[in-house]
Amino acid sequence: MSQSLSVIQGTLELLALRTVAARGPVHGFEILDWIRRTTDDALEVEDGALYPALRRMEKRGWIASAWGISEKGRRARYYTLTPVGKRALATEDKRWTRYVNAVAKLSARPADG
Amino acid sequence: VSEGRGPIRWLHWLSISRPSANQSVDWEIEHHLEEASDRLVEAGWSPEDARREAERRFGVRRYGPALRRIERERIMVARGSRWLDFVIESFVGAARGARRDRGFTIGVVVTLALGIGANATMYGIVDRLLLRAPDHVEDPGAVRRVFVERPFVGQLTTTSTITVPDATDLQAHSGFEAVAIYSRGVRTMGLGEGALRVWTSLTSHDFFPLLGVEPRLGRFYAEADDRVGAEPTAVISQELWERTFASDPSVLGDALELSGRSYTIVGIAPAGLTGVDLAPVDVWIPLRVAGDEECASDRGCYWVQAAVRLATGVSQESAEAEATALHVNGRRDDIQDGSYPRESRVLLGPLIAARGPNAASEGMVAAWLTGVSLVVLLIACANVANLLLAQGAKRRREVAVRLALGVSRAELVGQMVLQNVLLAGLGGALALVISRWGGAFIRETLLPGVLFPDATNGRVVAVTVAATLFAGFIAALGPSLQATRGRLTATLTESRPGVSSRRSRARTLLTIAQAAMSVVLLVGAGLFVRSLGELRGLDLGLDVDRLQLVRLELMGSALPGEIPGQQTDRAEQARIYRLAVERLRTVPEVEAAAVTSSPFQWGFGTNLRVPGLDSIPSLPGGGPYYYSVTPGYFDVVGVRIIRGRPLETSDGDGAARVAVISETMARSLWPEGDGLGECLMVGRGAEECTTVVGIAEDAARGGFQDEPFMAYYMPFAQRNDAPQGIYVRTKGKSADAVGVVSAALRGFEPGVRYPEVRSLREILEPDARSWTLGATMFTVFGLLALVVAAIGLYSVLAFDVAQRTRELGIRTALGARKDRLLTDVVLDGTRLAGLGVALGLSVAWLAAPYAQGLLFQVSPREPAVLGIVALVLLAVSALASLAPGLRATRVDPVIALKSD
Repeated sequence: MSQSLSVIQGTLELLALRTVAARGPVHGFEILDWIRRTTDDALEVEDGALYPALRRMEKRGWIASAWGISEKGRRARYYTLTPVGKRALATEDKRWTRYVNAVAKLSARPADG
Repeated sequence: VSEGRGPIRWLHWLSISRPSANQSVDWEIEHHLEEASDRLVEAGWSPEDARREAERRFGVRRYGPALRRIERERIMVARGSRWLDFVIESFVGAARGARRDRGFTIGVVVTLALGIGANATMYGIVDRLLLRAPDHVEDPGAVRRVFVERPFVGQLTTTSTITVPDATDLQAHSGFEAVAIYSRGVRTMGLGEGALRVWTSLTSHDFFPLLGVEPRLGRFYAEADDRVGAEPTAVISQELWERTFASDPSVLGDALELSGRSYTIVGIAPAGLTGVDLAPVDVWIPLRVAGDEECASDRGCYWVQAAVRLATGVSQESAEAEATALHVNGRRDDIQDGSYPRESRVLLGPLIAARGPNAASEGMVAAWLTGVSLVVLLIACANVANLLLAQGAKRRREVAVRLALGVSRAELVGQMVLQNVLLAGLGGALALVISRWGGAFIRETLLPGVLFPDATNGRVVAVTVAATLFAGFIAALGPSLQATRGRLTATLTESRPGVSSRRSRARTLLTIAQAAMSVVLLVGAGLFVRSLGELRGLDLGLDVDRLQLVRLELMGSALPGEIPGQQTDRAEQARIYRLAVERLRTVPEVEAAAVTSSPFQWGFGTNLRVPGLDSIPSLPGGGPYYYSVTPGYFDVVGVRIIRGRPLETSDGDGAARVAVISETMARSLWPEGDGLGECLMVGRGAEECTTVVGIAEDAARGGFQDEPFMAYYMPFAQRNDAPQGIYVRTKGKSADAVGVVSAALRGFEPGVRYPEVRSLREILEPDARSWTLGATMFTVFGLLALVVAAIGLYSVLAFDVAQRTRELGIRTALGARKDRLLTDVVLDGTRLAGLGVALGLSVAWLAAPYAQGLLFQVSPREPAVLGIVALVLLAVSALASLAPGLRATRVDPVIALKSD
C-alpha cells in the first residue's frame, strides 16, 4: 500500500509548488488541504512531511515566505512563487509529463508473463 | 484569490520583526495543528482528542527537529546573501554614481585624499618621534636615559651630557641590569678626494646587549675590544655596507680608515639601528678605544650620554634615589672642595627622547600638527558632507520613490553611507601616495636628523584605513539621514521636486564651520611664520647670512693626539691655517677670512684675574670665554667695535699684550668706567697685564638665545692656542658659496684630511627647526584648508544658483539689473565667510594661551596676523563667489521658465 505510493511522496514538492503557483499566497495547511482534495486523499504521508519540502524549495529560491495574519486571525506563514520558482515549475512539469507518459505506455502493454 | 489579499497587507508589517529560526518553525507547526484540530472538531472530535490526533498525523517528533535544523541553515544562507547583495548593490551604485556624476566623485575623492593624506603624513612623523621606541630595542619600556639635574647659577639645569666616570659610577646600581655609555660624532672615512664624512657612535661594549640587538652579520665588539690599548674594531651600519661596500660579506675583517686610524670591521649592524636616539649612525666604534684617553677618566670632560636597563620590579623612584646616591658619592671630592653642587640629582627619562626631560620641541610641534591635520580632515569631511547634501537634494525624488516601494530607511541610509565609504576608500588609496611624498618632504627638509627606516609602515596604513572609514562614515551619515527624512507625499507631489529655493540650514552651518576652521589654521600658520621671522631676524651680533665656518681636519704632526707621545706641532697648525686663509683670499666669492681658536658653538675659558676685583661675577651664560683671533676678525664676523680699537697686525708676539672685551664684560666688571685701558691677568699665574684696547658689541656664541655671558678677544700672535676654525665672509649669501669654498680647499695641502665648510645659517638651523617645521606645515595645512573651504563655498553657491534658475529668470525678465544679481550672490558668499571669520577668530583668541609655548617672541593674539588672515579669507571667498555670481547674471529667462 504505502509502498506503491512512494512515487507520489517524491513528487510532493512538485505538487506543493503547483499549489503555491495556482493559489498565490497560501499557508502550509492550505497547501496540504488542497493537495489532499485534488488527489482524492491518495497521498499517504504524514502532514509534517510537507514542511521540509517547503523549506528546501525556499532554500533554492523557488518560493518565498512571509508572516501574515490568516482569515481566522491566526499568525501564519504564507508562501508565494518567485520568478525562479516559476521557471523551475515549467521544467519540472515537462519532466513529470514525460515520466507519466512513459509509465502510461508501459502500463498499456500486457504483462510479459 | 481573495484568501490571499487580506494577509498581503500585513506582510510588510510583520516582516519587520523577524522571528528566530526555532520560533518560526514552532509558529508554523502550531498554526498547522490549530487548523487541523479545527477540522477534526468540525468532524465531531472532542477538542483534546482532535489536538492529539492532529499531532499524530503531523509527526511532530519526527519533523520538528529536522525542520528547525533546515530552517537555521536556510536563514544563515539567506542572511549572508542579503549582506552580499547589499554590499554589491552599494558597489554598483557607487560605480554608477561615480560615472554619472564625475565632478562630484572627483570632488569627494580629492578632498578626502588631501584630508586623509595630511593625517597619514603627520602620523608617520609622530609615530617616529613620540609613539615608538627606536628600532631593534627589546622591551623598550625598561630602558631609561640618564639625566643629571643640578643647580647652576641659581637655576636648575638638566643635562644628559655627563662624564665617563659619572656614568661608570652607576654600574654599581643594584636595580640596573646594565649601564651603557655612548657619544655621537662625525669622522672622516678614507682620504683625499674620496674622503667621506660619516656619522659615528662611540659606545661601550655593553651598549648592544643592553638594547637586546643582534648583528646583521659578524659580531658586535666585546668587552675585550673596549679596553684602552685594544685593537680598534668597528661595526658598520647595513646602509653604509650597502652604499659603500656593495653588501659584500667579505668586508668582515677588512680595515676601515676613520680620521687617520685603522679599524677592523667585525660586524654589520641590522638595518635602521640608531641605538637609543633616532639620528642615523654609519659606524659604531668602541668608546674606550676610539675616545680620548685622558677624557675617559676626567670628571671635567662632559661628552657622553648614558642609558640603563632597569631590572624587573624596580620602581622609578627607588632607582633614581639609588642612582643619585651613587652620583653624589662619586663626586664627593668635588663636592667637598665646593666645585660641584651637592644638590645634584640623577633623573631617569624614558627611552623616547621627545617624552623626556630636555626634549626638543619638534615632538611637541609634530603633536600639534597632528591635531591640525585632524582639523584639515574635518574640513574635508564638511566639504564632502556639503557635496552630499547638494546631491541628496537633487535625488530627493528618487529617494522618495524607493522609500514608497518599501525599502527601509535604515537600508537606504546604510547604502548611502557605504557608497561614500567606498569613495573615501579611493581617497584613502590616493592619501597613501600623498603621505609617501609629503612624508619624504618633511623627513628630508624639516627633520633631517631623524632616521625613518620604513616610511610607509603597517601602522601608517592602519591609521589611513581608520581615517578613511571615519571620514567616509562621518561625512555621509548626516546628509543621508537628511536625504531620507521628510514627508514622502510632499516630495512626490511638489511641482518641481527637490527644488527648494532656500538653502538647508545644515549646508549654511557647514560652510561657516569650514571657513572658521580655515581661519584657525591660517592664524596658526601666520603665528609660526612670524615666529620664524622673529627668530631669523634676531640680531646675533654676527653677520649670519654672510658667514661660513671652515674647520680643517688635520693629520700628521699637526693633529692633536695623532702620534702618541709626541707634542702637537703648533707651528705646523698655524702654517696650515695661514695657507688656508691665503688660499681663501684667491676665491672670488670670498671677501675676507679670519682664524679663531674658538669657533661658533665652542667655548673656552682660562684663569682670569682682574686687579682690584675680588672675583669675576658669573653670568647665566657662563664664561668669561676667551677667543684667540687673527687681525681683521671683527670685520670678518661683522662685530662692531664700540669704543677703542680692534686687534691689529701690529699686536704681534713682541708687542704689548692687548685684548678687546665684549660690551657685557665691560659693563659687568667696570660698571662705572668704560673699561678701556684696564688690566686683565690672563692665564694661570700671569704676571703681565693684558691691556683692554677696545670694547666690542656682544655677539652670539652658540645659538639664537644665548644667556648673557662675557667674552674677550686676544691676538693669536700673542697666545699659544690651537687654531680651530676660519670664519669666511662671502660677498653674496654664504650658503650659496659653500660648494666653491669647499672645492678651493680640497687637496690644497697634504696636512689636511678634510675641510668642512658650513654656512652659519646651516649651523644655526637645528635651533630653528621646530619653528621651521611649524611654519612650513601650518602654512601647508592652512592653505590646504583655505582651498578646500573655498571649493566648499563655491559649490554651495553654484548649487544655489543652479536651483534658483527659475527665480533668477523671473527677476531678469522683470528687468533686474545684472550687477545687482551678481552682488547678491557675492554678498551671500561673503556673508557666510564673514560669519566663519568671526567664529574662527573667536576660537583662535580663546585657544591663544595654549599656543604661547610654541611661539617665539610673538603674541598668539598678534593683531596683524589676525587681520591679514581675516582679509585673505574674505578676499578668497569673494573670489569663490564670483563664478556662481556671474552665472546668475547669464540666466536666460526664456530657457529658465520653459524648463518647468
